[in-house]
Amino acid sequence: MNENTKKFPTDHLGGQTWVHDVLEPEQLSTAKGTFGRQKMGRATIFILWALRVYVVLMAFLIAWQITGPQVLHLHP
Amino acid sequence: MSNKPVEIEVTLPTVAAEDIKRAMDRKRIHLLRNGRGKSRVLWLLWLLVGPGILAMLGENDGPSMISYATTGAKYGVGFFLPFIILTFAMAFIVQEMTVRLGAVTKRGHAELIYTRFGSFWGFFAMGDLVIGNLLTLVTEFIAVRAGLGFFGVPPALAVLGTFLVIVGVSLSRRYWTWERITLAFATFNFLFVPVAILAHPVSSQVVGAFFTWGPLPGGVTAGFILLLMSNIGATVTPWMLFFQQSAVVDKGYTVADIKQGRIDTGLGAVFAAITAIATVLATTPLFLNHIDPANFQGADFAHALVPFVGNVGATLFALGIFEAGLVAALTISSSSAYAFGEVTGRSHSLNSSLREGWPFYAIVVAAAGIAATLVLIPNVPLVYIVLIVNVLATLSMPPAIVFLLLLVNDREIMGKYANGRLANFFGIAVTLFLILAGLVYGVTVVFPQLIPV
Repeated sequence: MNENTKKFPTDHLGGQTWVHDVLEPEQLSTAKGTFGRQKMGRATIFILWALRVYVVLMAFLIAWQITGPQVLHLHP
Repeated sequence: MSNKPVEIEVTLPTVAAEDIKRAMDRKRIHLLRNGRGKSRVLWLLWLLVGPGILAMLGENDGPSMISYATTGAKYGVGFFLPFIILTFAMAFIVQEMTVRLGAVTKRGHAELIYTRFGSFWGFFAMGDLVIGNLLTLVTEFIAVRAGLGFFGVPPALAVLGTFLVIVGVSLSRRYWTWERITLAFATFNFLFVPVAILAHPVSSQVVGAFFTWGPLPGGVTAGFILLLMSNIGATVTPWMLFFQQSAVVDKGYTVADIKQGRIDTGLGAVFAAITAIATVLATTPLFLNHIDPANFQGADFAHALVPFVGNVGATLFALGIFEAGLVAALTISSSSAYAFGEVTGRSHSLNSSLREGWPFYAIVVAAAGIAATLVLIPNVPLVYIVLIVNVLATLSMPPAIVFLLLLVNDREIMGKYANGRLANFFGIAVTLFLILAGLVYGVTVVFPQLIPV
């Protein structure tokens, strides 16, 4: 048995099969596959949470700087 | 055995409107790659540049240009000139990774975080982005108001007009059109170059500064550290990661385009560094004449420069501030919409039709609209607010870079395009530098007596 022809139905594509020739499969908005979850190690999770705490603390510091008694002067 | 031809029907995935438009753009690239001729290389580059230049010049936004202007006015020619180059080198290191990620995975940054690390971290990252973007968008409209205020344009008219431009360009429903119009706007970032020339900087001092990293008038003070943080935040911010990767995907990059993507990012870094340094030089006359910009509001920078660069120079400066706010508002509002669409699984493309992509366009309009509304508040202290926004951007970068490094080192999705040792070395170095800068800033706030004010 030989496979030497293929027929692509175009009814639902309105003659736009050329799109499949130009774009890679993963570039099609309706046909993207999904990546699975990446397993994060404990060290990675610790670093992410540490940085999260760092950002929150720094945000409070900025708010304190704006509203607190210290005013950073821009004079050199 | 039968030799009769066998017809096999294969059902292909449905093609959306955005796919057709993206394919139309990619078709031109295919033709060029398969063509011949010396100009083919340049035309290919012309078609493929965009995300990198827009990310970099978009980051030369209103707060950034005000930060550079304040730097020039406070410190003149000296330490900050080579420091700006260092910051843009860091930006290139970070942004290049987003090009590879987008070209290889065909996914936006928020989508990758969401799918690889789960909904908790995905929504966390998106939440950071949305909050940061909203604050930054407010400052962009402040810049728009300041820039056009120099010409006597009423604030409400300036803000409304800019909002309408953003909506109009975004609703072109064609990534290529949006990109090219925004690039055209971004070229006006170079307006600061003639202003710098009109400021008549001393060439030998400028060249000397790049080699000596000096002078630094007044030494290390609290004000110096604040400006340092602000200048870092003027070049590396989380929205750039999300925007460039999403734009690379929306533009239809493949792995074959990574080389041009790197050139695009490098060009963007060079252009942005040039205009940033030009802005510092442009306001150096204020430093030399002891004019303090600490309480500058609105168009005060441009007005203060009139005696030194003339009305022409001041006009160009004001136009540059307006452009900076406009381009950043276009790119930042898009980055919020991209992230929302990627995380919620909805359409997230500037190629989307209104029917398919209405949530995406709604986010663009809402982000710009909320910021435009908030900015029409009287007596907003421009300089201080824009400096703080950049500081906040610097502080929120380390978590964003860590996610980026985790993804770009993920060989399951990146394959042979994952980071090598050198890229990881530089990426980690940038992260540690940003954390260190943040800690130094934190120390100066908690223990201000440690350094001179």
